[in-house]
Amino acid sequence: MAAEPSPEVGELAGLGELDLDGLLGVGDVGACCATLYEHPGVRWLLGDELHPGGEATTRRALELVALDQGDRLLDVACGQGASALLAVRERDCEAVGIDRGEAALARARETAQSEGLAGRVSFQGADAGALPFPDASFSALLCECSLSAFADKARAAAEMRRVLAPGGRVAISDVVVDSVGLPQALRGPLATIACVGDALDAAGYARLLESAAIAVVAVESHDAAAARLAERVEDRLRGARLLGLARAGEMVELARVARRAIDEGVLGYATFSGVRA
Amino acid sequence: MTYDTSQPTLPTSHLAGVETVLARTESICPRCRRVLDARLLDREGKVILSRTCPDHGDFEAVVYGDTERYLEIQRFDKPGEQPLERQTEAIRGCPHDCGICPEHAQHTCLGIIEVNTACNLDCPICFADSGAGPQQHGYSLTLEQVESMLDAFVRAEGEPESIQLSGGEPSIHPQILEMLAAAKARGIALVMLNTNGIRLARDRRFAPALAELGVHVYMQFDGFDEATQVAIRGKPLTEEKLRALDRCAEAGVTVSLAAAIEHGLNEHEIGSILRFGVEHPAVTGVFFQPVTHSGRFRADSDPLDKLTNSDVIEAISQQLPEWFRDDDFVPVPCCSPSCRSATFALYDGEDLVPLPRLVDVERYLDYVTNRAVPDLDVREALEGLWSARAAGGSGPVAERLDCVACATGMPPELREVAARGFMVVIQDFQDPYTLDLQKLRKCCVSEITPDGRLIPFCAYNSVGYREQVRLQMSPGNGVRNGG
Repeated sequence: MAAEPSPEVGELAGLGELDLDGLLGVGDVGACCATLYEHPGVRWLLGDELHPGGEATTRRALELVALDQGDRLLDVACGQGASALLAVRERDCEAVGIDRGEAALARARETAQSEGLAGRVSFQGADAGALPFPDASFSALLCECSLSAFADKARAAAEMRRVLAPGGRVAISDVVVDSVGLPQALRGPLATIACVGDALDAAGYARLLESAAIAVVAVESHDAAAARLAERVEDRLRGARLLGLARAGEMVELARVARRAIDEGVLGYATFSGVRA
Repeated sequence: MTYDTSQPTLPTSHLAGVETVLARTESICPRCRRVLDARLLDREGKVILSRTCPDHGDFEAVVYGDTERYLEIQRFDKPGEQPLERQTEAIRGCPHDCGICPEHAQHTCLGIIEVNTACNLDCPICFADSGAGPQQHGYSLTLEQVESMLDAFVRAEGEPESIQLSGGEPSIHPQILEMLAAAKARGIALVMLNTNGIRLARDRRFAPALAELGVHVYMQFDGFDEATQVAIRGKPLTEEKLRALDRCAEAGVTVSLAAAIEHGLNEHEIGSILRFGVEHPAVTGVFFQPVTHSGRFRADSDPLDKLTNSDVIEAISQQLPEWFRDDDFVPVPCCSPSCRSATFALYDGEDLVPLPRLVDVERYLDYVTNRAVPDLDVREALEGLWSARAAGGSGPVAERLDCVACATGMPPELREVAARGFMVVIQDFQDPYTLDLQKLRKCCVSEITPDGRLIPFCAYNSVGYREQVRLQMSPGNGVRNGG
């Protein structure tokens, strides 16, 4: 396994300098997300898991789409490419990852190169609302913890359908909320980039996919993994607050509300698997 | 949520009466002390050490209260290191050649010198069988004897980092300050005085004298309930203990509290002892020790009904859930992983965050699972923190916490908070019932004897060495006896 330097306590320093207000002020949540999840401080907060369950949840999603040799996978909002690389490494398929964060893509390409996988996996800068691929060019598609943050979800879903070949399989893992019970604190802009504020309920995702002519086959909950991730983020933010970092207190409160919401079942994480009709 | 379709988990509960052999090891007969083949069994979720003596029958003792955790923590097992010098030869076989003998698989992290056998208390639990009354056998070392023992430790370790002067009650030895100074003079960074605190409470000059020498106090502190104190120490002591701690705070002496925890007696005080320690200005760490049934304590107690490290860890998380979880306590990898677990915590007067929540300590201290270690300097610092030679608030610990903070890029003003990390240790010593010779061979805490041997602590207390040394050192046995 490649020895990727692990972001540690030190990265916290940069968290205070992160211009969240500036980013949010631009009003482009997608761009904000891309910047945020590249930030070493944020990566330190999340640890090795950029989404609940980390690799384990990704492996399960790849199982659900029955990814195999000969498949061509598109990873929408791939970040540093961990999932696309995992798929290529373990499932012997080909993969393409797209994201809006150039630094993350550069990192993804580096990893692919260093592992000798560059022939089977590639990464390009693109927007989920306008995928730069011809119709029916993939047999499988993965989108983790991102659909909820896309401003125009219907368009993203339609694009996903368009680039999939008939019978193509989809796995969407995302934050699921109970739109009635979700606390007000989790509806703000900070919550949106944390993939919570603009998330849908389970029926909402199903409708979104169905209306793009993607039939939902199964829904699997990862609430326990979400609870663990929320707890970890809260702990690290408590550490950051204790060490005197700006805005950490506010973020601790948000993390706490999120953790309670998961316990109460109004916030969770799930994988939706489907087939392009 | 209601649409959970995940698979039902496999049953993990242990069926009553079903036993699994986890490992084979060796132990001793608690009566005749001969070496016996032994098995480690899983019985109803606990780890049981079981063996049969041909003359004295079956002996069983619980050695870890949670089998699952016991198996899980075996990955925190750092390969042993060689001491510079071994004092004895392997002739009769472990554990009867202690000294350290060539079969021992670890060097000494922490040396202990018992400077006397006399005490100003008569604790019912005393594993050293000390006391205030007239003693049939007893001794008090001279300064010269202690110096030669310190020299033996230096020969074995080169640059030993930690030593503890103990007893008896070392603070009542008339030359204790000279002895502590002699340890400091040999460059030992962490010199500890293991005391009941009574002299600190009664003698105003004592804490300032310790401060001047830079000595760290390791003070017995078993809880606040009178019943606890009477059972463990023979009389209520809270007032004197608190006065001793305040004197230390005034003088600038750092203190680790050492709490003996006995099943059914003071388990319920674990949380309040820890919270008190975290909040007291002099206290930089708490050591919880499940009471060993060596020496004179409860010779009739049931070894199958004894507290172990996992029980104490669970009690901490249950009693202080806002601060601690079970997995905040990471096994110390230099000794056997079930001997000692520890954590460091950052505290700002309000909130407390254990260090493993901020740095992935397990990733650095796991020697079995094949994972890339991100930074070897950080591993080395963490090895020095998760070690029997560490005590919270001491110079070396502050330096290593600073190294962890620094190597990970923390800005200097924040590193100061990290360097004040509060240490929590749970350490289970073995007694004749729980003695596992495989564990013993990796022991890194040694009793230094007047003849210059380094005897692993649990062997010293379980196999007969303590009695042997005491007899040799007592008047009328041809050994010079000072004090």
